[in-house]
Amino acid sequence: MDFTESFKMAAKTLAANKLRSSLTMLGIIIGNASVIAMVGLGEGAQQFINGQLQSLGPNVLFIIPGSRETRELGGLEVPRNLVVADAEAIATQVPSVKAVAPENSTQGVVSYRNRNTNSTIVGTTEDFLTVRSFEVEKGRFLTPLDQRRNSLVVVLGNQLAERLFEGEAALGKQVRIRGITFDVVGVLEQKGSSLGLNYDDSVMIPITTLASRIVGRTSPYGIEVSFISVSANSQESMDTAEFQITNLLRLRHGGDDFFINSQDTLLEIADTVTGALTLMLAAIASISLVVGGIGIMNIMLVSVRERTQEIGLRKAIGASQQDILVQFLIEAIILSALGGLIGTALGASSILVISVLSPFEAGVSTSAVLVAVGVSGGIGLFFGVVPARQAARLDPIVALRSA
Amino acid sequence: MPDLIRFQNLSKVYGSGNTEVKALWQVSMAIAPGEYCSIMGPSGSGKSTAMNMIGCLDRPSSGEYFFDGQDVGQLGEADLALIRNRKIGFVFQQFHLLPQLTALDNVSLPMVYAGISSAVRNERAAEALTQVGLGQRLHNRPNQLSGGQQQRVAIARAIVNQPLLILADEPTGALDTQTTKDVMAIFEQLNAEGITVVMVTHEPEVAQLTHRVIWFRDGQVLNDHMSPEDMRQTAFFT
Repeated sequence: MDFTESFKMAAKTLAANKLRSSLTMLGIIIGNASVIAMVGLGEGAQQFINGQLQSLGPNVLFIIPGSRETRELGGLEVPRNLVVADAEAIATQVPSVKAVAPENSTQGVVSYRNRNTNSTIVGTTEDFLTVRSFEVEKGRFLTPLDQRRNSLVVVLGNQLAERLFEGEAALGKQVRIRGITFDVVGVLEQKGSSLGLNYDDSVMIPITTLASRIVGRTSPYGIEVSFISVSANSQESMDTAEFQITNLLRLRHGGDDFFINSQDTLLEIADTVTGALTLMLAAIASISLVVGGIGIMNIMLVSVRERTQEIGLRKAIGASQQDILVQFLIEAIILSALGGLIGTALGASSILVISVLSPFEAGVSTSAVLVAVGVSGGIGLFFGVVPARQAARLDPIVALRSA
Repeated sequence: MPDLIRFQNLSKVYGSGNTEVKALWQVSMAIAPGEYCSIMGPSGSGKSTAMNMIGCLDRPSSGEYFFDGQDVGQLGEADLALIRNRKIGFVFQQFHLLPQLTALDNVSLPMVYAGISSAVRNERAAEALTQVGLGQRLHNRPNQLSGGQQQRVAIARAIVNQPLLILADEPTGALDTQTTKDVMAIFEQLNAEGITVVMVTHEPEVAQLTHRVIWFRDGQVLNDHMSPEDMRQTAFFT
């Protein structure tokens, strides 16, 4: 008997028992759909995080204060913070660096007339534009002169300007921050959030003004900053810049009390984390695939029991063991492969829904589809073998007698 | 003419040790091509085992069984399947039709295993069904047919590969008197056309209609070529 005939026969048998066949497939359908959806979701998350990290800007290094070592020195020594003077030293003494932007921030109420909004007040310098690749939409950004004079000027984030002024021109107006009046000199273009920091919703003032008028001088070493972002001359000079900055700061601080992170190291960390996440999701989902396979085996075993007489008859009229084996195997494979296909379609469509409803640009990964369909076909084969062998080995005499 | 079926000192033993059962013990007998005979005997007499043996569903423990000149004991599982498919047509008490298939598809089934193309299958299956008087019922499923009709579908299935032998196991066991007569008439007809017919039955009225009765008891042939008169008496005492 050739394959087409076996296939037709198996399909006919499955079609004669539609409810049971579809319930049997359900396990594989769910398993497959969840594998596709989970892997897609994981990869979507990975892409989302990568996108966020890349929006930090290329060639950027972040210098963050603090290290384990300083904490281990004991409670007496206060970990030394980064200060504006450190940033100035980097800018003047490290040749592989193009721009240096120290940043410090606090929360506060910003108000215009009777409208108030709570936002992040960022103190920084003119280099912020270069390092974080921002553009000014209207007016100008902070200048070195603003820094020296502790000027009461502010540059508004795009969304905040929109909210506070509701379409009115913001330039030349005055806003109050923590009760102090500032002149609006510029509005930034919109950029969206990156890593939870949303400058669109912040106000930018000179870091010197922030220190002298709002947060106060909190460090004995100068104007404290929460981190310094540095733009290297080029991608190639990143390592050099990191090395030179490390040496310089070690010299200034007398120890390693800071970290330097680049976009690459952050990307690497994020990739490791999201990769592990995707793998975990896929592993959980594949458990349901295996459970679905066991479901198929279970139903096939019951079916062999139930169709004992049919098998006996087929053998009596000339079916060989191989014919019976092939017939039952094909039944199992049809169930699992069809279930796999439906599950894949279901998973893919749920991914499309997710990508519409969430910021994750979840994609249907071809490899996930291939693996899931292949695995479910394999599961049909694997879990179909036991029942099919049982059927093939039935003694036709016994099978025919079991009325 | 060589025998179609020949048992030579054939034994079939099930189990071993204390549970050993001698289902057939050193049986020798022969059935020639074109014969119309029945096998009778009380339960446990070995008649069912004999039937399985004749039908190549089982192999002897010792001795030889020749079917159409082939030593069945020497053949493998696949070869036995081939003999069953091409040379033997089975008819069972419970018909054993597949409920999900139409009469036509049920009759086609042996030809599927014979590797015959579907166009030829349908033609020959329709022919066989017409031959047993079911030309109008090709597309009915078994549950839409009466018991007699179902048995006739089963007979059509048995003859569709043009076998040398029709082997029937209690073919009238589930039928009433009238349909029994109809079915026996079909067997008579097929035998007249040259097909060897062997049936196992416990109904003397049915066995009487055949030309030869082989009587089994305790795994051995008790009486061969029993006359209808003898048979009536034996049947009375058992």
